[in-house]
Amino acid sequence: MIKVTNLKKSFGDLQVLKGIDAHIQEREMVVIIGPSGSGKSTFLRCLNLLEDFDDGDIIINGFHLKDKNTDINKVREEVGMVFQRFNLFPHMTVLDNITLAPVKVRKWPIEKAKEKAMELLKKVGLQDKANIYPDSLSGGQAQRVAIARALAMEPKVMLFDEPTSALDPEMVGEVLAVMKQLANEGMTMVVVTHEMGFAREVGDRVIFMDGGYIVEEGTPSEIFDNPKHERTKSFLSKVL
Amino acid sequence: MDFRFDIIKEYAPFFLQGVLLTIGLSIIAIIAGSILGLAIGLGKMSTKRFVRLPLEWYINFFRGTPLLVQMLLVHLGLMPLLFSQPSATVSLAVSLSLNSAAYVAEIFRAGIQSIDKGQMEAARSLGMTHTQAMRYVILPQALKRMIPPFTNEFIVLIKDSSLGAVIAAPELMYWGKAAQGQYYRVWEPYLTVAFIYLLLTLSLSKLLHYLERKYSNQ
Repeated sequence: MIKVTNLKKSFGDLQVLKGIDAHIQEREMVVIIGPSGSGKSTFLRCLNLLEDFDDGDIIINGFHLKDKNTDINKVREEVGMVFQRFNLFPHMTVLDNITLAPVKVRKWPIEKAKEKAMELLKKVGLQDKANIYPDSLSGGQAQRVAIARALAMEPKVMLFDEPTSALDPEMVGEVLAVMKQLANEGMTMVVVTHEMGFAREVGDRVIFMDGGYIVEEGTPSEIFDNPKHERTKSFLSKVL
Repeated sequence: MDFRFDIIKEYAPFFLQGVLLTIGLSIIAIIAGSILGLAIGLGKMSTKRFVRLPLEWYINFFRGTPLLVQMLLVHLGLMPLLFSQPSATVSLAVSLSLNSAAYVAEIFRAGIQSIDKGQMEAARSLGMTHTQAMRYVILPQALKRMIPPFTNEFIVLIKDSSLGAVIAAPELMYWGKAAQGQYYRVWEPYLTVAFIYLLLTLSLSKLLHYLERKYSNQ
């Protein structure tokens, strides 16, 4: 479903991705961990071209991102993204946040979009918040709305960029629960996170990145119980 | 000192004509300036140098030179090239629009750039085009923040339209000067004119203040 070959990316003189190869299967839940500055967020943002890359290629849902003829908007319709800081649209109600893209991009009739939005709000446990503005949501609620907003486009892949890092500790659980449910339903997911417990429990595969490379990857038990590389060991000893 | 109300009374119909023209000119210049300013402001954020550079110099020129000079250039230089009988009113409308476009462009640019980058990213990640993201996500938020600087700019524009008197565009100030010239009296015409300008600018600022409050409640 996603195939990344020799992905390279620099910000000015600083090379943050030094040749990433990765293959993500349909219905797979992949967790990317690593120290800050390891390039994991940049890697994730390259997958829907929020960051342009310098070299290599990404094939996602059959689209070659390197190909100049690829319509990036079409690619993004199928790739949902959830951000660390939610990025809800503050001038719209929760319901309008969710229906905007299906109506404007997918050209759904408004009734259909609303129906879908209410269904998703119910799924994330916030059907009573449809008509309020994001300002009055807690962090955890805002992030669940953001997940619903991304799901409203019926994407084939969901990307999560540290979705719980900006949350108060007591709200982390409610967001992870929604993500877990999504994973159990078979959504293809790529999650950058610092929640090691979640990675171990829900991930099909864990990728450890450091210094712009994928250092090690494997099943959660391979990575967490039996890491092979020194860098993986030293990182895990600090965070576990 | 006696205050001759009879002069004001005599000139009242002309002041009325003048103020209507001032209001009309200001509205035209606000609308034309805003449309042109939006285009220039968006263009100035372009990544393409050949788009950005001319617009930067447009802004430099119209912000960096006096409006009076611009107006004389338009009325005595540009307009005679296009029309055989240039109208002072048209020249005034054109120079006010061109001038305010430069300021409005900067207001748009600053307003748009003040919106968190994550808003554009979220909109694009949902498959929206840059134009859709601007229209539905960025501009509605930015416009709210632009109301105070817009209020400022529109007040300046109303006042600046008084420069039209120099090229004999029959707006409010022109009739003030006419009355002053006829009777050699300073206080009556100019205080009246000043008072009317004050009424105009205060009403405008009240109106925009009302809009600002209305939209900040959302």
